[in-house]
This record gives sequence, structure tokens and C-alpha cells, in this order.
Amino acid sequence: MSKATTLPAAPVTRSARTPDFTFGKLLPLLIFFAVALIFPFLPFGDRREFLLQIGFFTLVAGTMALSWDILARSGQVSLAHAAFYGLGAYSYALLMKAGLPWLAAMPLAALIAGLFSLLLGMVTMRLSGMYFAIATLAFTEVVRTVIQNLPESVAGGATGILVPALLGGNSRQQYFFALLVLLLTVGVSLAVRLTRLHHAFAAIRQGEETARVLGVSVVRYKLLAFFISSVLAALAGVLYAGKTFFLNPLETFSLANSIAPLTTSIFGGLYTTLGPVLGATVLRIAEELLHNIVKNGYLVVYGLVLILSILWLPRGVIGLLRRGRHGGDL
Amino acid sequence: MKRMLLTGVLVTLSMSSVGSAVKVGALLPLSGAGSVSGQAARNGYLLALDEINKAGGVLGRPLELEFADDGSAPAKAVPEFVKLVTVEKVDFMVGGVSSATSIAISGPAKQYNTFMAWIGAAAVPVEDAFADHKYFFHYHPWSYYNFEAILDYFKHLRGTKKARNIAIAYEDGPFGSAGINDTVAAFKKAGFNVVMTEKFKTGSGNFGPLVSKAKAAKPDILYWVGYDTDALPLATEIKQQNLQVGLIYGTPPSWPVGFEKNRLAENVGGLSLWLPSTPNTESRAFVAAYKKKFGNITEEYFAPLAYVNLKTLAAAINKAGSTDKDKVAAELAKTNVRTPFGPLTFTKSLKTQYQGFKAGSWLSFQYTDSDDRVPVFPLKAAKKTTSWSK
Repeated sequence: MSKATTLPAAPVTRSARTPDFTFGKLLPLLIFFAVALIFPFLPFGDRREFLLQIGFFTLVAGTMALSWDILARSGQVSLAHAAFYGLGAYSYALLMKAGLPWLAAMPLAALIAGLFSLLLGMVTMRLSGMYFAIATLAFTEVVRTVIQNLPESVAGGATGILVPALLGGNSRQQYFFALLVLLLTVGVSLAVRLTRLHHAFAAIRQGEETARVLGVSVVRYKLLAFFISSVLAALAGVLYAGKTFFLNPLETFSLANSIAPLTTSIFGGLYTTLGPVLGATVLRIAEELLHNIVKNGYLVVYGLVLILSILWLPRGVIGLLRRGRHGGDL
Repeated sequence: MKRMLLTGVLVTLSMSSVGSAVKVGALLPLSGAGSVSGQAARNGYLLALDEINKAGGVLGRPLELEFADDGSAPAKAVPEFVKLVTVEKVDFMVGGVSSATSIAISGPAKQYNTFMAWIGAAAVPVEDAFADHKYFFHYHPWSYYNFEAILDYFKHLRGTKKARNIAIAYEDGPFGSAGINDTVAAFKKAGFNVVMTEKFKTGSGNFGPLVSKAKAAKPDILYWVGYDTDALPLATEIKQQNLQVGLIYGTPPSWPVGFEKNRLAENVGGLSLWLPSTPNTESRAFVAAYKKKFGNITEEYFAPLAYVNLKTLAAAINKAGSTDKDKVAAELAKTNVRTPFGPLTFTKSLKTQYQGFKAGSWLSFQYTDSDDRVPVFPLKAAKKTTSWSK
């Protein structure tokens, strides 16, 4: 096996980094954030508080989906996102219990999840495809079991643990904070997309051997993708914990928390920044509308819509917006 | 002219207030993991709603129920709760089955000072979360009351059947594992020998090693905490290995459909807050009314619990003479009625002010050869003595 090397260290010009980058491609994201920013001030009347809650969980879902997509760009289809989400949430809860201020507990919790991701990444380095997915799924189960079997006085055992409310329970502040976390995630995603990381991840995704021949340090970049992705997923976990005040192993490490970001990313548009964010938003709106229209069995209709969308929109919602043009999406 | 206008406005206002319904929001798991209990509760509420409105509603106005599905998930429960309170502007909230969703809404509940007459959520952290909420009425016994009821029954068996040795089999998820160390300690403190404590994976169907171990431990009682899917495989393995045990006692949230018809079910014991065969007038009336409305009867106790929940809340509103929360809370606190579960009053629990049913409301039953669940403890509710197989 050839020794992996890094990409050339020569200065990378703007055109070399982003051959297809134009400001216009950022426009949909800017519009999204502009709308998200004024959303709490829109005249929704009595529905304002309710929509603020929906908005909060949509932003968390968007963060989760985008963090999963960043990892997927390196060809790693992970089912460990629930583990990082849960590790972030539990670490935050335990650090808060230890008396740390929330602003310190939050990044520390994300860092803890990031360190675990490096451990998992090193162990699963040689695996790919289905084998990798199963290994990550097993990792989630291991983390869940360990947390559940810690003494109840430490992490609440199987019953669960209470978490202090984020930002004193102020829903508008919580919403803006979740928006800030999504903005950070989008920033990281764009940084990955617009730097040499994009080429390295894409090369690894298309074939590790080829990537090595091209001089890409596969191990380093795969671990980096894992680390970035897990840190962001952990931040989503912290938001969830601070919003719902309670964590228990079964729900926090549920397989649904690994599957949802995967389906959301595919629905929105894989390997893009806008796709997963848009996917989370459209799915949440669709779910709410269906809920009101089809009172009983709305989940069946929702599932059907999701299946048909994935079948008929292979490039996701983003493909629908940019019909006929392939590649170059941010 | 001015006087006429004023009179007109007042008449219009008074007419609109007479016509407007008293709104109650019901947050239930109508989908997801807790949906069996949630749907049962929904039926109980619908039955109670019919009866209340046929009897004139509350405060001379119709009672209106607004259902919302929490999806058995905290992330869905929070927006749905806020929607009921801020958009639908319900006067009172009922429902609540899952502990996790109930804790998740504790923040908005306190923020909006919501009146909550809650039927489920037995985990102790819920008690912590609502300890300082002045409008929280909890109907379901807390989890420590459940265990207290089991312990009382086992103590009775020690006296009557000389039961000394307990083998515990529990599923490794939250349902089976929560507080298992406390359970073992409590059995020991009560003078029992815990001769085996063994985990199993729910739904695995592989009870061979567990039953072999139990056989070596020679228990008088095999106490298992798992799900409905485990009941039949465990009973089958016990039969195959010919485990000699006085009583097999399980506490799944629900029993497998048709389990009572299987010969292996005979003498298996369990715990329930209510059985359709519960021998009191209120239970018989509930069963008859439920059958009339839905054509069959459920064995899910969340149906009568929801029924009792709405009926008592409506009675308290009527006695209060208004929807003022303090007045309704004062009247609901004075509740003293006979229900399908026995008498209902609100007294303090360890941490909350208004706790409805406690340990004494639980029934231990045994499956019999007549395909029925028969109460065997407490003795005042028993229809037969415990069949002991040792």
C-alpha cells in the first residue's frame, strides 16, 4: 500500500479552489437566513409561539442533516449520528450538573463527541459501505448501553436525567441560538465545499485507492470529516437537551436520530449545503400541513411522499430547483 | 340611543359567552411507541365527552375537546402543547402518557401557567419536573407506588405460601432496567432472598440460558419485567425445562393479544390498574357504556383512566362555577368519587401536591383456565386465592 500524502501545499488560488463558485449560488442560502431571521417577527398572531417551536426543531433537524451530509461527502454513510447527538446531549447535561456555565459546557460537550468520533473513525477506517454502516450502528448501541449502565446517580440510568432549560426557557432566544448553530454549520459546510477539503472528500468518496494515487491522505481526511460532522451533530444534541429538559438513553440514541438526517439529506439534495437545510424545512412544513389535512394516518401519507420524492427526485429538492444543470451546487 | 346601543352590545357579549364552549386540550401519543395507550385514552375521553355534553356540558356550555398527537416524541410534544395553549387557547390540559414528553412540556406548562390534569407519566423525574407547578394534578400512580403494590403482594405470598426466594428477569432497556438495583435492594430489605438477577434482550425469544439459571436457583417466584413479546417465549421455555416455580409474575405494559387463550398462560400473574372484570359498580357501568359506544371493550386501563380524568375535571369546573384556575384547582383537590379503579381523592405524593391513585389502586391478577384475568390481590378485590404451582 502506498504511503498516503497530503494535497500539494502550494497556495491555492480562488479559481483553483472554487472553479464554479459565484456569489449567485449563495443567494438561496442568504434568502433562507434572511427569512429565518425575520421569521419570529412576522405577524403570525396567536400562532407565533407555536411556529417558533416548530422553527426551533426545524433548525435542529437542519443542523443534524447538514452535519451528516458533510460526513457523507467523504463517502462514509454513517448510522452513528444518534451516538454523537446523544453524546453531545449527555455530555452537556453532565457538565451542567457538574456546575459548568452553559457557554462552556456546550463547546466542551461537542468536543467530547468529536473525540469519540476520532476513536470510532480509527477503528472503522478500513471498513466501507454496508460494513461501515453496521459498525457505526453498533457503536451507537454500545454508547447507549454504556450510558444506560452508568450508576443512576451519574447519568440517570435507564430512567433518564433532567437538563436545565437552555437560555432560561425563552423560546425566542432559543430559536435565535439554534439559528446561530445552523449558521455555524452552514459556514463549516461552505468552508468544506470551497476549499481543498471538497476535492479530497470527493476523491475519497469516488474511490480510496484513486484518492491515494492523487496524493490524498485518506486516513487524515476521513477522520477530519468524522470529527467535523460529530461536533456539529453534538451541538444539535445540546440544543435538543436544553429544549426538552430531559434525556433518556432509548430516545436520545434512537435509530430514528440516525435515519432522519440521512433521509433529510437525500430528500434535500446530497453533497450540498442548501439541500439538507431545505430538506429539513420542506419536510417539517409538509409534516405539519399533512397533520392538519389528514388527521388520522398522516404519517403514512408523509412516508409515501418521502419514498416517492426519493424515487423521482434523485438529486433531491435542490435538483428540482436547478433542473437540467448538474454539479456545482453549493 | 346610547343606552340602546350599550344594551345591544351587552346582550351580544352575554350571548356569545353563553354559546362559547369550554375548551380542553388533550395531548396524547396517537402515533409512535405509546400509541396503544394513547388511542385507548382517546376513546375514554370521547366516551366521557359524550356523557358530559349529554348532561348539559359545563357551566351551561358545551365542553370541547381538542386532541393533539405528541407522536410519543418530545420534539413533537413541545410544539403541539404550545399550539393547544396559545393557538387553540384551551382552558385546561389533559392527557400525557409518556414520561419523556411530559417532562419536555414542563417548561412551557410553567411558562403559560397551564392547568394540567395528567393521566400518565409515572417516572420519578416527571415528579421532579412538576414539583413546583401549582396546577398539576397527577392521576396515575408514580413508579414507586407500582413497586410498593408488587412488594405487598409478594409479602402476602410469603405469609400464605412461604415464598422466600425471588428470581428477577428484566429486559435490558429503560423499561426493565430502570431502578433495578433499588428493586433488588427493596426485596432484600423486605426479607426476601434474591436468588437470581438476569438481563435479557426483549424480543430475542431466547430464554433457554435464563431459565436454566433460574432452575439452578430454585426460586419461589419468577418476577419478569419485559414486554408483551417476551411473555409467550418465556412461558414456553419454562414449560420445556419444567421449571418448578410457585408463581410466574410479569409486569409488561400490555399483554400479548390472545395470551389468555394459550394453555401456557394459566396461572401466570401480572399487575394492572383495572380489569374489565373489576367487580365494582363504576367499572361495570364504564364497561357497559364503552361497549355501547365502541362495540367492544378494551383491557387498556388508560381508557377508564382518561374517562375518570375528564369526568372529574368537568365536575370540578361546574362546582367552581367558572374556568378560573384557582377555583377549579380548589374544587378538583376536594374530589372524592368512586371510580372503576376505586375511590379517587388527591393527596400529596413525595414531591407533588395533588396525587390521585397510589399503590392501593393496583390489582394483581392471574390468568385462569377460563381464559380470564382474575384479581387475586389485594384481598378486598380478590375473586380467588393465588394458584401456587409448587
